[in-house]
Amino acid sequence: MRLAVTGTPGTGKTSATEALDRPVVHLNDVVREEGLWSERDEDRDTLVVDLDACREHLGDWDGVLESHLAHRFEADRVAVLRCRPDELESRLLDRGEPAAKAAENRESEALDVILGEAVAAHGPENVYEIDTTDLTPDEVAAELAAVAAGERDPSAGEVDFLEYR
Amino acid sequence: MSESENTPQGEGTWAIANVFASFNNTLITVTDVTGAETLVKSSGGAVVKQNRDEASPYAAMQMAEGVAEDLLAQGIEGVHVRVRGPGGNAQKSPGPGSQATIRALARAGLEIGRIEDVTPIPHDGTRAPKKNRL
Ligand SMILES: Nc1ncnc2c1ncn2[C@@H]1O[C@H](COP(=O)(O)OP(=O)(O)O)[C@@H](O)[C@H]1O
Ligand SMILES: [Mg+2]
Repeated sequence: MRLAVTGTPGTGKTSATEALDRPVVHLNDVVREEGLWSERDEDRDTLVVDLDACREHLGDWDGVLESHLAHRFEADRVAVLRCRPDELESRLLDRGEPAAKAAENRESEALDVILGEAVAAHGPENVYEIDTTDLTPDEVAAELAAVAAGERDPSAGEVDFLEYR
Repeated sequence: MSESENTPQGEGTWAIANVFASFNNTLITVTDVTGAETLVKSSGGAVVKQNRDEASPYAAMQMAEGVAEDLLAQGIEGVHVRVRGPGGNAQKSPGPGSQATIRALARAGLEIGRIEDVTPIPHDGTRAPKKNRL
């Protein structure tokens, strides 16, 4: 079973998947360690990921893949973590991120950018939206375990964050 | 859609339409070209969750038409469009998306000038390559 855990930065993917008692691939780390990127986005102080190189590196992967790009890869189920944008922005600022980065991710979350991409790539029948705004990382992990175990129904577009843009 | 060099600058009054297109909602705010004054604020083409298939495209088209009417009445002849978010999804679009909203504005009689995609990019030390959204 391949479970992709995606969501805007700040939704709590890393925290929730670390609380799972199973191995997880944290793709952000892999990209840096293995040099799976093609150029630098200087404005955002960010590496532009080479998706084909990542695909090749992942090969016949299995288990849990965690990244805001996880939905860009083949998977059996895709969990999309969500967080109310104002809360997401303060989570990122508390994590020590620059204001511009927190703001662009907040706006991305308000516009459902990653949810839309995930549903477009995998179809609504394979997407599981989880609103983490009022959940602890352990509770999010429990939701992820339920998705992996096939105990949850697919869902998408159950939150409307547009007013927090 | 006409390119910027074809827009009849100076012949009439132009404005900037900001289209916010999320998965199941669309919102339009229109300002003057300096961005200082808001001319129209749409109430949003929100999808009724229980009835998404029927309600959504209809609600947002209505909204775009209403915005266009209001602008024409204010003497606005055309708009430059700033799009944030593609809206909906390729499989079965619940939201009408930015494209359909722009078409609805044009159909209602507004000229469409420059179209700019200013959709934010989720990033966290890494990001996906940009693709053309429009
Ligand atoms: N469920 C949660 N509730 C509140 N704060 C959280 C939650 N999950 C994570 N956080 C905090 O928010 C920040 C972002 O979490 P992180 O796991 O790094 O998100 P991501 O990997 O999606 O970018 C961190 O500072 C983390 O401690
Ligand atoms: Mg992370």
